[in-house]
Amino acid sequence: MEDISNALNLGLIVVDAEGKVLLWNNWIAKYSNIKEANALNRPLEQAFSEPVSSAFLAALKNTLEYRLPVVLSTALHRTPLPLYSVFETTRQQARMYQSITITPIRSQLNEPCCLIQITDSSTSIKREKILRSHSELLKKEAITDSLTDICNRRFFDAHYEIAVADAKRQKHLLSVFMIDIDFFKPYNDYYGHIAGDHAIKQVADALKAQLSRATDIVARYGGEEFVLVMPHLPQQVAEQIAEKLRRAVFNLAIPHINSSPFHRVTISIGLCTGIPERDDNLLNKADAALYQAKQKGRNRYISLPLCESEEYLEQ
Amino acid sequence: MSDLNELHLDALTEVFSIGAGRAALSLSEIVGDEVRISVPSVQIINSEDINSATLSLSNGRFGAVNQKFSGPFNAEAVLLFTEEQALKIVSDMMGSQMSLEELAEFEHEAMCELGNIILNACLSAMADILNLTLESSLPDYTVASADEILQRLKEDSNQPYVMVLHIDLAIEKRHTAGNLVFLLSSASLTNLVTHVDQFLGNLS
Repeated sequence: MEDISNALNLGLIVVDAEGKVLLWNNWIAKYSNIKEANALNRPLEQAFSEPVSSAFLAALKNTLEYRLPVVLSTALHRTPLPLYSVFETTRQQARMYQSITITPIRSQLNEPCCLIQITDSSTSIKREKILRSHSELLKKEAITDSLTDICNRRFFDAHYEIAVADAKRQKHLLSVFMIDIDFFKPYNDYYGHIAGDHAIKQVADALKAQLSRATDIVARYGGEEFVLVMPHLPQQVAEQIAEKLRRAVFNLAIPHINSSPFHRVTISIGLCTGIPERDDNLLNKADAALYQAKQKGRNRYISLPLCESEEYLEQ
Repeated sequence: MSDLNELHLDALTEVFSIGAGRAALSLSEIVGDEVRISVPSVQIINSEDINSATLSLSNGRFGAVNQKFSGPFNAEAVLLFTEEQALKIVSDMMGSQMSLEELAEFEHEAMCELGNIILNACLSAMADILNLTLESSLPDYTVASADEILQRLKEDSNQPYVMVLHIDLAIEKRHTAGNLVFLLSSASLTNLVTHVDQFLGNLS
């Protein structure tokens, strides 16, 4: 029997009704660095050289008193007992993550005792961490536009829906900026697709640099189209931001020979601010405003309020 | 069934409220924050009459922690939370920044522990107040649909009685409602009533 308990790849401790150690297997001796001879017949909390967690002692006391089995999970306790894993390579010691069960049993003399089983849960935790880092990476990839590193359309669609629902419920203002690079097709045709991609990336970076609040997002909406969503801005402030966005791209001074009269890459912006009532109002309105900005000569923003249909404000 | 009156049910509610108080204390120590558990009602029903309304089971999946216990009466105790609530409880208890999906690895064991704490507290309260000794298996955790759970409760003809405790659990500001279901044989119910009678007799 002793051979079996010593050969097991898990920790076994048996304590009697007073909590004194009756069995201390090799596994426990190895990871606690306390020999069986030094642990036997001592109260369990004194057998270790460091304190044992109070949750463990409370659980043990309960099992001794009521004869009911107890589970101590890694999730809620991590390292109740002072056991250490030794890493062969670095010789560094780290406190072992443990899963523990405490079961009432009877000794050969039919005296009530408690069996404490301890397993090393670091492997499952390690696996969990690897899975988590993979899933975080995949999640980030799934919502990021690979060219510009800003949010992609998929993320925008989900975020927009939530932002509109929040604004509706709390009756607060929401601003949508639809942005399009002016004369982008001629740019691509003249400078080539690689330069075109580079210009898109520069514009995306410039737009992103204008955002300062965690609640604001910029996403690539389509080829050379971007969209920004910002809550809680009075219309006047939203218009100032639209102007900042326009200027930021203008100041990049990316040469564009086929764009008159500035001969550099510019953007047109359609802005709509309001408290949403129906779902698609803001986006449609911003799109209509963008169309007007294009009609009025590009390199400008047009701001349309959500409620009135035909009036617009020009910069 | 007829031998169990209002007085018995009141006494049982009292016993389980004391158990709930003990469980809350243990959980508070682990979570490091106030945990409150109350048992607003205890019902005893025929397992044939059990349905999703009696258990206030909605659609969706449930986490069930299971312990079989024996002594003067034998029963199987099942603690039920919706899977979503179970995950939230675990995440609140862990106080972690992990998202719910990422908790899956820990959920099983942590739910076993949560169920174990609540079940053991109820059993130990019964043991103390009704003056009896109970033994119990280690907890199991399973995830099942409401239909699967009801099916199982009804199927077990050896245990025609079901004692249902509605449980309210509050960790920090989140309230969760669950059910603790005891499956009892006729003999076990009779023995339970006998013990409750003795307890009530000692009071008067």
